[in-house]
Amino acid sequence: MTIPPVERSDVPCTWCPGCGNFGILQALQKAFRDLDLPRHRLLMVSGIGQATKTPHYLTVNTFNGLHGRALPVAQAARLAARDMTVVVNSGDGDAYGEGGNHLLHAMRRNVDLTLVVHDNRIYGLTKGQASPTTPTGQRASGDPRGVVAAPLDPLALAVSQDCSFVAQGWSGRVDALATLILAAVRHRGFSLVNVLQPCVSFNSTHTGAWFRDHADEIPGSHDPTDRLAAMALLVDHGRRGRLPLGVVYRTERPSFEEGLPPSTAKPLRERLPEPSAVLTLLERFR
Amino acid sequence: MSNAAFTFSLAGAAGQGVQTGADLLGRILTRHGLWVWSHADVESRIRGGINIMHFVVSDRPCEYVAGAADLVVALTAESAAACAPSLRQEGLAVAPAAWTDPRRLSVDLDALGSQAGSTKVVATAAAALVAAMVGVDSATVRSTVAETFSSRDGGIADANRTAADLALAEASVLPRLAPDLRPESDHGRLFLSGHQALSAGAVAGGVTFFSAYPMSPATGCFIDLAACADEAGIVVVQAEDEVAAINMVAGAGYAGARAMTATSGGGLCLMTEGVSLLGMTETPAVIVVAQRPGPATGMATRTAQEDLTMVIHAGHGFVPRVILAPPDVGSAFRHGALAFDLAERFQVPVFILTDQLLQDGAATLEPPDLSNLPTARHLVPATELGVRDDYVRHADTIDGVSPQAAPGASRHLVVVDSHTHDERGHLTDRPAVAAAWAEKQQRKEASLRQATPPPLVEGDPEGAILVLAWGSAVGTAREAVGRLRLLGHRTALASLEWLWPAPEEELASLMDEAAMTVAVDASVGAVFSRYLTLATGRRPTMTVTRLDGRPFTVEDLTARLAQEVSA
Repeated sequence: MTIPPVERSDVPCTWCPGCGNFGILQALQKAFRDLDLPRHRLLMVSGIGQATKTPHYLTVNTFNGLHGRALPVAQAARLAARDMTVVVNSGDGDAYGEGGNHLLHAMRRNVDLTLVVHDNRIYGLTKGQASPTTPTGQRASGDPRGVVAAPLDPLALAVSQDCSFVAQGWSGRVDALATLILAAVRHRGFSLVNVLQPCVSFNSTHTGAWFRDHADEIPGSHDPTDRLAAMALLVDHGRRGRLPLGVVYRTERPSFEEGLPPSTAKPLRERLPEPSAVLTLLERFR
Repeated sequence: MSNAAFTFSLAGAAGQGVQTGADLLGRILTRHGLWVWSHADVESRIRGGINIMHFVVSDRPCEYVAGAADLVVALTAESAAACAPSLRQEGLAVAPAAWTDPRRLSVDLDALGSQAGSTKVVATAAAALVAAMVGVDSATVRSTVAETFSSRDGGIADANRTAADLALAEASVLPRLAPDLRPESDHGRLFLSGHQALSAGAVAGGVTFFSAYPMSPATGCFIDLAACADEAGIVVVQAEDEVAAINMVAGAGYAGARAMTATSGGGLCLMTEGVSLLGMTETPAVIVVAQRPGPATGMATRTAQEDLTMVIHAGHGFVPRVILAPPDVGSAFRHGALAFDLAERFQVPVFILTDQLLQDGAATLEPPDLSNLPTARHLVPATELGVRDDYVRHADTIDGVSPQAAPGASRHLVVVDSHTHDERGHLTDRPAVAAAWAEKQQRKEASLRQATPPPLVEGDPEGAILVLAWGSAVGTAREAVGRLRLLGHRTALASLEWLWPAPEEELASLMDEAAMTVAVDASVGAVFSRYLTLATGRRPTMTVTRLDGRPFTVEDLTARLAQEVSA
């Protein structure tokens, strides 16, 4: 029997009209079609936030977990089932706030999966608090006098940690984003795709038009395998108040899976208990 | 109850190899055909201070803690002085000359070490000396020492063998101890610690994924499973924190692995939202909680049984669970071996509560019977999924357990959500749907209650003094109850290995038929007593506690029980 491709599910969508998430959803669906993957081989893991509803709107295996905790779930599921392609949907609060520690160590481990961060620079689900990427001075419901702290720079953070694939896209151009996501999924190891998007309800600063006016495609002359150049590009863009779009940095290093014992390679769902196997272990206690 | 038993302490500074020497000695005595129980009385440091390994040796199983020692072997004067108060008046000691005490034998372990060519072999010398004094033949001592150090480089192996030889020679002119003990030959018994038994049990039970953050006294399980990961085919991941560990267990379990973590009370505190997630997604898991005194950081290397009520309630919302507590090293193996089957059968977290005493204690064990251990899984087989038209993860069922398929096993998609969800796993807040799933969870818990075994009862509780105990206190309580009986009291012991769901009716009628009930409660805050009230609505007549992070000793417990019953 033929297995259908990834399609929109029948779950009613609760995003606001005009939400940037629609563009990201379309880009994901296009990327999955281009991957030509049977849908049951795909696992989408998410945390909590508007972004994290994304998996429910597609016909894929889904683990919609706790706020900030998608990455541990995703890494473990991937290690337990290496015949699955794993994509994580997270928001700027879920990934860079609540889930910050997990992001750092996911970069280190380099488990083969893709993290798509829906970065709208605000908390949408909880109605308008600042997120770690909200710029200094912007007003938000918990910062009525304007955000005091400096924003987190997720791309520079990733490059500084030699994250093996670092890219930025935006929800306004579906095809380009789909291409970026496809490259990220195909990359062996942990891929970070930060996707800029507007929040039509709670962020009146970073609108679609604003992103269009402030974003630049990374020129073809940039060598994404050059880490110093990647850092220089980010610092330069930051100084000029510009947002780079495309692959900022990528490198090849072994995935975490490659460092695990071969005896663990088969999907763990297929493993049966073998009590007699413990006899050899117990010999050393005689 | 007073069979021949010999007790001693092996003590020194951290870094001198006391624990290695104790492990060596335990193996030697076990091979000789005696039963050994040793427990660790150590400080939280890597060098210096005082580390003591306490031993009870007998010709029958003896997993209880003795407060009085017949022999002290100390590698430093400081540790000798620390052991002195528990050394019997007529006891003997091997210790540096700086510790002046009439019980001291004129043996100089440091000199033996120098003669053997290394200061690092004094613990081996001590082990060989004690073994010889207890009547172990030289061949057994020599072969065990040789095997123990065979993988080390030539110099270390030689020095240890020489140290043992020198100690054996020295022992020939020393008093023979414990002449009443009758060793058995040709038995094939093992000597291993609680954490080693628990980890081996997990391997027998089919563990395939383990993630943890190191925390005393749970770390032993992590190290054990990491060491056999290749051989046993286990994915072992050191998590960045406990929140990651429990969420990894959830992800792996969802994907069809038999997943486990191990932590202590403080780590479980961090995991509680993850426990809640396991409940909402109905994902099986095995969670070892190796208790130590709290609150907060507490005492890292000391023991307590304080976390029971926290583990019962850990995680917000209604989360059916099982709580097991092995009372001894053999049970630790058995619980490890059966927990995964239990977790998968009901799709619940199964907690295994141990403590520092049991984790780091080591005992002689008959090789476990593996013949009755389950070899099947409870996931819906791929072949069955292949012929189904449809699959939903949270199907409404009478017993509350929904068939669990792993993603990727078939073309059917598996959707789970931390939100309240419908049968398909998608988010809902519709009242009828929410209530239906909640009722299913309640039926799941009812199914668990039906599987709950009764407490183990030893002696006749009717009109008697019923002593209640759980976990590592059981062995000592059993010994104390036996001694009370010899003193003429009508006593019985009720112990629990399966604490939650609680065997409410059996516990209640036991407590009702006894003349009085005494809870052995190694906690600050009467945790076990509160558990008994939670389970039965009754309060124990009295409670015997420890507040100092040390285990009950049989002398202390017997005296306090005798005092309570005469009062």
